[in-house]
Amino acid sequence: MSEIKTIALLGQPNSGKSTLFNNLTGLHQRVGNWPGKTVEQAEGEFVFDGTTYKVIDLPGSYGLSANSEEEVVTRDYIQSGKADLVCILVDASQLERSLYMLADFVGIRLPVMLVLNMMDVAEAAGKKIDVAAIEKRLGVPVLGFSAAETERYPEFFKKMVSAIKTPVCLDSGSLREELVGGGELAEKTDNLISRIEAALGDFEYGVCEKIWIAEKLLEKDKLICGVVNEMLPFAHKNAIDAILDSEEGRDGGMLTGEAKYRWVSKIVRELATPKSIEKVFSKWDRIATHHIKGKFFAFGIMVVSLIACMILAFPGMGIGFGMQPVLQSLVERVGGALGVWPVVISFINLVLVGGTCITICMTSFIFAIIFVFRILEEIGYMARFSYAFDNWLSRLGLQGKAIMPLFSGIGCTAGAVCGTRVLDTRGQRLLALVLLWAIPCGSKVAVVLFLASTFFGSAAPLFGIGYVALIFASFYLSSRLFGKKLVPQNERVGMIMELPPYHKPHWKMIAAMVGRSTWGIFKKALKMILVVAALFWALSYAGDGNVENTLLYKIGNAIEPVTMFFGMRWELFVSYLGGMFSKEASLGIMSTLFNHTGEAFSLVTRVAASENLGEALASTISKPEALAFLFASMFNVPCVLAMGTTYREAGSFKWLATIMGYYLAISLGLAFIGYHIGLLIF
Amino acid sequence: MKNADFVDRLSLAEMGENRCGTVAQIEGDSRFISRIVSIGLTPGSAFTLLKNDKLSPVLVFCRDTVIAVNHKESSQIFVKVES
Ligand SMILES: Nc1nc2c(ncn2[C@@H]2O[C@H](COP(=O)(O)OP(=O)(O)OP(=O)(O)O)[C@@H](O)[C@H]2O)c(=O)[nH]1
Ligand SMILES: [Mg+2]
Repeated sequence: MSEIKTIALLGQPNSGKSTLFNNLTGLHQRVGNWPGKTVEQAEGEFVFDGTTYKVIDLPGSYGLSANSEEEVVTRDYIQSGKADLVCILVDASQLERSLYMLADFVGIRLPVMLVLNMMDVAEAAGKKIDVAAIEKRLGVPVLGFSAAETERYPEFFKKMVSAIKTPVCLDSGSLREELVGGGELAEKTDNLISRIEAALGDFEYGVCEKIWIAEKLLEKDKLICGVVNEMLPFAHKNAIDAILDSEEGRDGGMLTGEAKYRWVSKIVRELATPKSIEKVFSKWDRIATHHIKGKFFAFGIMVVSLIACMILAFPGMGIGFGMQPVLQSLVERVGGALGVWPVVISFINLVLVGGTCITICMTSFIFAIIFVFRILEEIGYMARFSYAFDNWLSRLGLQGKAIMPLFSGIGCTAGAVCGTRVLDTRGQRLLALVLLWAIPCGSKVAVVLFLASTFFGSAAPLFGIGYVALIFASFYLSSRLFGKKLVPQNERVGMIMELPPYHKPHWKMIAAMVGRSTWGIFKKALKMILVVAALFWALSYAGDGNVENTLLYKIGNAIEPVTMFFGMRWELFVSYLGGMFSKEASLGIMSTLFNHTGEAFSLVTRVAASENLGEALASTISKPEALAFLFASMFNVPCVLAMGTTYREAGSFKWLATIMGYYLAISLGLAFIGYHIGLLIF
Repeated sequence: MKNADFVDRLSLAEMGENRCGTVAQIEGDSRFISRIVSIGLTPGSAFTLLKNDKLSPVLVFCRDTVIAVNHKESSQIFVKVES
């Protein structure tokens, strides 16, 4: 007979919940060394000793107050009482702050087990923790653990099984003592807590004890205030309102917070040694957080990472590029010998072989970016990075945390879009989405640089600089247009964030994660590219290899009068539209349309593209047209994948349409300007 | 410790680098207080100010943790400085 037990993972941001979750369930929640990655609860299962355990990975939250959306998710789950065991994770290397979650949990009648995670980091920082003594003091199971080290999982299972077998809740007695006696503010708190408890009468609310309700009322927790307001008789409600409105009542949140931390300190200061301050704030940190040096440092790291990306991507690109001609000529020879129809050979070569090779090239770049970012993230540099850029971003109406999604936009817009969830308000998230679309992903950079160097040769670096300037200008424009409304001045909250200690990267974990994501992306990209390549192949196949006999040519010619207004002949306009699908498609289409050799007629001929597309383009397209297309490409919609994720994150079609419309207007507007200026100069 | 009491209502934003102090008072709405308290700054908590250059958020070390607090917000946190 099997029975399902539910374990909820609760803890402050960055305490290692998702690491534990992934190792238990074999699933792949996002992990990284900065606070606030998990934003939706995730569920998974594992079987141990014949019992099935359901594990819930909750978004990190500093306490059980429900201020932000993620905190509401976490709190709701805890209050639902569905968990058979709440596993509270704390970061042993930041024990005192981290244990606040435990203090806030006191008064919730659910069985708990406390995991002091990251013992390895704590030990390296010279911190000694007496786990057994803490267990004795708290009266609940306590485990010293390192979620990232798979060898240690047997200890976890042992503790977990016994915690479920003999469930114990935290006893609220010792915290009550802190709330009631001792401390400078105790006298006030005492009155408040007991007065509220009295006013609550026989009020009952799920798994929450009255003392917990009283604390939350003092902390002006919206949800609890609402519940109490709804369920309590009028007279009691008035009594509580009066207490909360009194002078001490107004400071309630501070009073309870102080008491809870006092409770924590008593445990920690007796049973663990503090960290040394040199270990906490190193020389490196002084540089990384310096307001000028920190930014140079960050740019340096960016450049080094991008170079590392290129080196890492090289082998994969080589394989992709190298394979294509070999395979294609093989197909031709074998096909020819067997007497296969030319149309079949064309399909195999241009759709199947070409598509696969291009996907390999694309994915190898994505692989490199994921890998490098992963390392930066694991080490803990990302948090310093956002610190260093907080003052710049706050001018745009965002905060430092937004640098992480924005920076990862250089890697992949679609991925970065998901990262905007770390921001606190919906307005900030939307604003970040708008800005993000202007940041070129690796492929867009490649396309723009390719075009610039093809048409303008040695002047290409100028375009690079101009592009960067335009991006910053677009930031300014966006924050002007959207910032005021999305993030009103009075709602702009500044940065309040912990800088996590540096961690040594766990290579095995990183390699596994990178390998898995790359494979996932490869599969998805392959499917998409094959479908589009096939479609395009059908539109553009002409038995006699004459472009004028293709469907695409006919459609293109019909719309040319309109597109010429923006300086784009139909071939370029179709490439521009292809660019909305993916940057690679844009190049692929160009090489198809401009290499008037029936041979290279496909979406996927990037090999041919890099070899002779340049010449073909430079000889057919005039400079003004080139300018127009270059500008249009710079601010083109990122790609289908990015549109999909944006729709999901923005949660409304209206916003996706708005952002798309905005960038279409910018890119076509710039194309128009570029074209007409070009006509004057050249 | 004596003259510390005379430094009247010094805010975190005005405090010098590498000094130690304790939080005296926090002002702001309950949302702000709940955020600041839950990250570890409560009245009475001892901390070391690691960094304060007016251009980036203030960095304090408090309860085993390095915490960054934006300038505007840090001027709502009042402290007693140890001399
Ligand atoms: N050295 C060490 N690192 C760990 C350990 N557990 C987790 N980590 C690392 O700590 C970081 C944070 O872990 P996560 O699992 O993402 O933390 P989380 O609690 O899910 O964080 P949020 O989702 O942001 O709330 C990651 O970089 C992990 O690799 C550990 O026991 N030892
Ligand atoms: Mg997580």
